[in-house]
Amino acid sequence: MNSTPSVDRPIPPLESRHGHRGGLPWAWCNLWRNPFGELTREERAELAVVDVAELAAGVQGEKAAVQLIGDCGRGKTTRMLALWRHFPDASYVYLDEDLPCGAIAEGNPLLIDEAQRLPRKVMHRIFAVGLPLVLATHRDLTRALKKAGYRVTTYHLGDTNDARLVLESANRRIEASRLGPGSVPNLSLQDANELVSRFGSDIRGIEGYLYEQVQNQAYSDGEMRFVDCVRKGRGLYL
Amino acid sequence: MAKCDLSIVLEKDADFIYDGGGTIRGKVRVDVDQNVKCNGLEVESGWKTHGRGNVATGNFTSVTLFEGEWVGGQVVEYPFELPVGDWPPSYHGHYLNIDHCIDARVKIPWGFDPKASVPFLMRPTCGPEAAVSEKSTKAGAFVATFVGVFMLIWCSGFLFFMAQNPLSLVCVGIFPLLFLGGYAVKVWLPKYLLGEVTCELSQTVVTPGDSVSGELVVRPRKNVNVNAITIDFQAREVCVSGSGSNKTTHKHVFFEQAIELEKATTLQAGQERRFPISFALPSDAPYSIELPSNRLVWATTMRIDIPRWPDWTKEIALQVLPSGEPLDPSARPQATLRGTDAPSSLASEGEITFAETANYLWSARENPDQLEALVDAVTGLSFRLEAFIERRLLYAGTEDPHLFKGGYAVWAHFGEPPLPLVLYVPQELGDEFEQLGRDRWIGQGTVVGWDRRHQRLQIKLETR
Repeated sequence: MNSTPSVDRPIPPLESRHGHRGGLPWAWCNLWRNPFGELTREERAELAVVDVAELAAGVQGEKAAVQLIGDCGRGKTTRMLALWRHFPDASYVYLDEDLPCGAIAEGNPLLIDEAQRLPRKVMHRIFAVGLPLVLATHRDLTRALKKAGYRVTTYHLGDTNDARLVLESANRRIEASRLGPGSVPNLSLQDANELVSRFGSDIRGIEGYLYEQVQNQAYSDGEMRFVDCVRKGRGLYL
Repeated sequence: MAKCDLSIVLEKDADFIYDGGGTIRGKVRVDVDQNVKCNGLEVESGWKTHGRGNVATGNFTSVTLFEGEWVGGQVVEYPFELPVGDWPPSYHGHYLNIDHCIDARVKIPWGFDPKASVPFLMRPTCGPEAAVSEKSTKAGAFVATFVGVFMLIWCSGFLFFMAQNPLSLVCVGIFPLLFLGGYAVKVWLPKYLLGEVTCELSQTVVTPGDSVSGELVVRPRKNVNVNAITIDFQAREVCVSGSGSNKTTHKHVFFEQAIELEKATTLQAGQERRFPISFALPSDAPYSIELPSNRLVWATTMRIDIPRWPDWTKEIALQVLPSGEPLDPSARPQATLRGTDAPSSLASEGEITFAETANYLWSARENPDQLEALVDAVTGLSFRLEAFIERRLLYAGTEDPHLFKGGYAVWAHFGEPPLPLVLYVPQELGDEFEQLGRDRWIGQGTVVGWDRRHQRLQIKLETR
């Protein structure tokens, strides 16, 4: 019986390694986790780089609606979560694609993510109440909103996702992953420019790439590199 | 700016490995910038995942170290001693990471609550019974039932349409026929050549370093040439991020071992061939883990590679679990993730208050199986309860059968613990609730179930 074990194995987490604080993979650069992994909703809202005041101005008063339209990964949900955190009386609902429309609680404003999935009957019922609305949607719902008497402000997302936004949001995530006092790595503006030239306005794509970059440096030492000229695995050449 | 800064110092060095079920000690240090009223300095031990999967968390025990006033310029330290949970274990992989942690938080009225957190490593000392999850088997049974019901409905519809209009076969029949075709290719065609292949492992619950043995038995119906008979022994992380249309599954294989049972050969018709299986787990194999959105899976895939024909394959999952002696239940911290079974007193009406019920449900909220059992035990019971109203529902959801005719639903929570509730308000109580706003309501209600999507206990209110 022949066997060939692979060599791609994780370092056992319970082995104390000389020079690695507490056996944590990124303790060497003073981080307790890979900053570019999945966050909780609360943390996403907390770390969002969003001009909340501008968005909030669009939902002042009755029958005011803000629409956020954009492709996947452009920051619709992040903006929604930031607004949810901003308004103490807001309520947020995410409409699942493969589940029937669930409960929708009143809120001021009422934030509906993936609003294009609202069943027509439910949409009319919600719009008829007249609460201030923030809708994240792939489809423009202006007509239905105006028919219900709403003033609508629409933002097409993606154009503002430039290198400065990438820089700030990445460095906020890094700061939120700090392990203890002292310095933590920082993404440079040069790195951010390179990422934008590669991924355009796709923030989710950038975060996915950075996750792999940081992951490749678990239990490493020296200086954290966020953008490599040669990427392991799926080959990114910059 | 925060009125005070928190930091946590553990008694042991950062690389110390704590035993599951043991004790962790340390100090919470508070540097006070301005005079501040503290409604509670809470410290708790728990765990959280990080990586590509949705964050899963759990906590074991929470204690309040201080309540009162701090004066600007003060530096105060509060020692603590907390139980260490015994599952899940610390793990650091590619997409999945699990860390145990001590979290501290100051509750400040009308202000942001300062927080601090420090991770630590935990090695389980519990036995396998503490780590086994039945969720996967339940999910499998659910999927099988769903597919069965779906096929039954489809077959009925298919026959009906065929009788009405044979042309509709093209529209109605094409997708299920493709499905059946795929199933035939995967299952029936290999079986046509090989007959019934049996493959068994001596044990599927193992510990790191264990040897696994078994046997693959084949008696083909015809002479069959095979390229090879192999076993792919694999461990992978499976993490899910997002939900609905944004759901992404990330898989990472971190251990793989190809075992060749037989090279290219011809299996003779009617002749039984037995192939012994034997392989060993690495001594440092991480344990199987089953957490919400985050799994670590060990599995073996048997394959009979038939040239120019669909291969025969079978996957057998292995549960890699700790081998430690089971902990003495009496020595366990009270609030563990697994908790205890529903107390027998829950089964009899009138012997338990709503506050006790809320406490049980609150402590089981991280454990779906236990929660389900508790909800089943209290469903149908009527309680005198106190609830704090949160907000009215504009729409209660299509799947919600509990609404009263002419009534509506509100979200609310119990006081302590703050167990989330859905209250179904009858028309007769509508005015009372309108006037209440977000105040406290006291009255009678019957537990009717659990809203899984919003993690709330469902209660139908009774008119006085």
